[in-house]
Amino acid sequence: MAFIPPKETYPGRVYSVSIGTGQKEITVGGENVLSFHSFEGTVPNRPLIAHEIQDVPPTDWPESVQKPYIDVYANPVSWAKYCQDVLNAKAIALRLIGTHPDRENRSAEEAARTVKEVVDSIDIPLIILGSNHTEKDSSVLIAAAEASKDRNCIIGKAQEANYKTIAAAAVANNHKLIAMSELDINLSKQLNILITQMGFDKEKIIIDPMCSALGYGLEYTYSVMERIRLAGLAQNDPTMQQPIMGDVGMYVWKVKETIADEKDVPLWGNTEERGITWEAVTAISMLIAGAEILIMRHPKAIEAIEKMIDELM
Amino acid sequence: MALTGVEIFKLLPKTNCKKCGFPTCLAFAMKLAQRQASLDLCPDVSEEARQKLGEASAPPVRPITLGTGESAVKMGEETVLFRHDKKFVNPCVFALGIKDTLSSEEIEKKIDEVRNSVIDRVGQKLKIDAIALLNDSGSPEKFGNLAKILSEKAPEIPVILCTTNLSAAETSAKLYADRKPVIYGANSENFEEMSKIAKNYRATLGIAASSSGGLNELSELTEKVKKLGIEDMVIDSGARKAKEILEHNTLIRRAAIKKNFKPLGYPIITFAQREDNLLETLVAALGITKYSSIIVLSSIERWKNLALFTLRQNIYTDPQVPMQVEQKIYKIGEPTEESPLLITTNFSLTYFIVSGEVENSKVASYLAVMDCEGLSVLTAWAAGKFTASKIAQFIKESGIEGSIKHRELIIPGYVAILSGSIEDKLEGWKVTVGPREANGIPAFMKSRMK
Amino acid sequence: MLIIGEKLSIIAKRVREAMMKKDKGPIQDIAIFQWKSGAGMIDANIGPAEDNGEELMEWMITTIQEVVKLPVCLDTTNYKAIEAGLKVHNNEWGRPLINSTSNDPERFPMLELAAKYNSQIIGLTVGKGGLPADAEERAAIAAEIMARASEYGVPLEDLYLDPLVLQISTSQDHALKVIQAVKMFQELNDPPMKTVVGLSNISNGCPKELRPILNNHFLSLLAYEGLTAAIADPHEIAPTVKTIDVIMGRTLYAHSYLEM
Repeated sequence: MAFIPPKETYPGRVYSVSIGTGQKEITVGGENVLSFHSFEGTVPNRPLIAHEIQDVPPTDWPESVQKPYIDVYANPVSWAKYCQDVLNAKAIALRLIGTHPDRENRSAEEAARTVKEVVDSIDIPLIILGSNHTEKDSSVLIAAAEASKDRNCIIGKAQEANYKTIAAAAVANNHKLIAMSELDINLSKQLNILITQMGFDKEKIIIDPMCSALGYGLEYTYSVMERIRLAGLAQNDPTMQQPIMGDVGMYVWKVKETIADEKDVPLWGNTEERGITWEAVTAISMLIAGAEILIMRHPKAIEAIEKMIDELM
Repeated sequence: MALTGVEIFKLLPKTNCKKCGFPTCLAFAMKLAQRQASLDLCPDVSEEARQKLGEASAPPVRPITLGTGESAVKMGEETVLFRHDKKFVNPCVFALGIKDTLSSEEIEKKIDEVRNSVIDRVGQKLKIDAIALLNDSGSPEKFGNLAKILSEKAPEIPVILCTTNLSAAETSAKLYADRKPVIYGANSENFEEMSKIAKNYRATLGIAASSSGGLNELSELTEKVKKLGIEDMVIDSGARKAKEILEHNTLIRRAAIKKNFKPLGYPIITFAQREDNLLETLVAALGITKYSSIIVLSSIERWKNLALFTLRQNIYTDPQVPMQVEQKIYKIGEPTEESPLLITTNFSLTYFIVSGEVENSKVASYLAVMDCEGLSVLTAWAAGKFTASKIAQFIKESGIEGSIKHRELIIPGYVAILSGSIEDKLEGWKVTVGPREANGIPAFMKSRMK
Repeated sequence: MLIIGEKLSIIAKRVREAMMKKDKGPIQDIAIFQWKSGAGMIDANIGPAEDNGEELMEWMITTIQEVVKLPVCLDTTNYKAIEAGLKVHNNEWGRPLINSTSNDPERFPMLELAAKYNSQIIGLTVGKGGLPADAEERAAIAAEIMARASEYGVPLEDLYLDPLVLQISTSQDHALKVIQAVKMFQELNDPPMKTVVGLSNISNGCPKELRPILNNHFLSLLAYEGLTAAIADPHEIAPTVKTIDVIMGRTLYAHSYLEM
């Protein structure tokens, strides 16, 4: 029996989405096959890993992932420049966590100032994230979008409760938009429909189906991402052909496997290596499932993922 | 062509003798159709039916057992390409590679590492399942020596005997006769002799294509080996780079499942070893998600094991079984003896959302999470799992009465109907009806504070 | 097709309040309306009813059968309530239907009741924990329930197999699997096994305006595969049921067939 490779071709294709400006502009997406399946189609762009920084010192991050940034994190600008210039980051994700009412409760104006300073100090693409407080994010992200006008950033996350204002700000200032839903492919499609019904260009949306950490619901995110990709490719569904984002670091660096000291859990081995591995394994699973953009924290985990992408491309 | 359950049923004796362990021939036929049972369980099936059913009832990926006794592990039997379609069946085997260039002390140390790799995670015992003996020295004596140490010191651990040297294979296979090792293996030069050895010692044969020959060479080899009377095989396409592993594993699984292409319907062995340990971990993760049945590792540090075990557990979870959290009283914030007590079911999404909203309310609380087989509140109530008497019993047995002074229980608004009945069954308690949807919790908690 | 009227359910506020107050009026109004709309049986869903199940089921059945000449589908997980209901059920209007047994050992005693009281029974094709992944798994569970029914002395003609309809908003792929299962179930015996679905479950959680559309179209597809009975809102699906009968050649066509 002769072997004929059972290759798949799909009618759909993931939209190519560019972010940033000038020489450091980056394009993601554009493939017409499942992740890294270049043997049966085209995969023109590699996935993008963005280094996460935030507007206030990361005192809530576990020690292993605070350490690499200890000299720079007091100031978001020095932090961003460190990632760009020393760690060779390809993109920065600035999380405005300090605006959360239960945190520093920074105002939209303060957040906008931070965004302006950061965007002016780097030439790589910027992702601007709110604090996931749906009401506050509306005002914060409008101000942030204006402060970074025409720099072709990604802003978000727009959710069902606040997408209208955020999408309008993204249009007005020429940004891409993250559409986030909670682990439900049907709600994800619904949100994309609602956003495009406002007149928002469907090819400027990034899907965030909600990330989860290894051991904490990872299989849900994994399957939702796989199903989104299959809907976009095999069913040629134009509302499911956007690049997918995985907000990996935030979900990983709060589970006990990345925090617990080896002294307390000797069976789990070295704390720091465990944390880095946890983030890297979560990240590779998301990439295999279909993500094109990841937001990550630990430089060593990012380095390993870049090497793995090299092997996969 | 796969037969339907009813078509299979027509070929069975229809005696309903129960010897197969199923209540009727029809029930057995349905299991056969799903490839969840083997025809061998029926002692009375006619030869004619056996022939007709043989091919049709064979799973697309042949089931293979590695090792014997309690530590034996099953591989193969997969039926789908994507885990959201149906549960992936047999979790991949992790094997630690041990080189025959190591000293006896080093070898024993590695054996201990494998034995001590057991970690308990959400009720499952997870471990490194096997050892792959590597003939790095090229010497049959050294390999034989390694096999001897292992079979004496760790007879319970399943093994993969990796050598292309016939005398090394013969010596080591003899030590593991009838203990279901894998002899890896057979290539285009030595497959005839290797097949004889595998046959003599009832071992599974690992088939390796050259890196240039790939899947074509691999399928030709398995067909030739099958003609020599070997049924149990594991296969290696020669892929070592991540890109090739993804490509070959995907094509192998697709060919087996979608085309029922028998020459590639065997479990896949993947060699993930790398200089860079973290990169090796990621290649192993690729193997877990993309169809490897055996993954050979160069080291098994605890942090690495924990991550790989967890990923394997996540990927091989049944997507049809609702994810559940453990039944207990969860503390949110730092509750005191005055803090409120809420109750909900153990469907994990329900738990995540309810606990998140209680957290948002900034009121330290106790959240009683009751085992309802992972159903949400309304479904659990309708199915008779979240009823007044079961709630009362859970609250009594939970010991919460020792931690709080008050006797007030907040129940989900959807089961408001239960409030009176719970009060009857929980003496001295007052039941308060909370909001129907979890997003009403912060407002509800705030209004109580006033 | 047999339509089992679903509107007398404790989930509905008006019904729940009437049940609590033992107010016959609303219960009988709803029962009569369903009968007039084409129901051939009335479902009485009293929930788990741990405390007063027996009395409540008795009351429901006598209340319903006082005004409509139809059999009742006894819908609860409470074994004693079912038994109490079967004792008072008026079989003159047709044999009752127990809703339901399944492959969960907790539900096996329901078969005992069906045998003892010569009742029909629904076999829900689920086991303990976990949902069936596809049509084949549903059929495999069906075969086990059939074996169990025979053991308990329930004739297979009295068993209605229910493939378990799931919400399309969360389990889209199961809609088609349910349709396939209805076809497969019938092949499990000769004469074909009877089948039943809880129809409106398909549109649970969907926007209100979508629900009748989903329910009616789903019913058409199921009917084409030979569905025997549906627990549904008779008023909502009446035009579909009549139209299916015309298309399948079971009723003679006339311009005013919908008004008949």
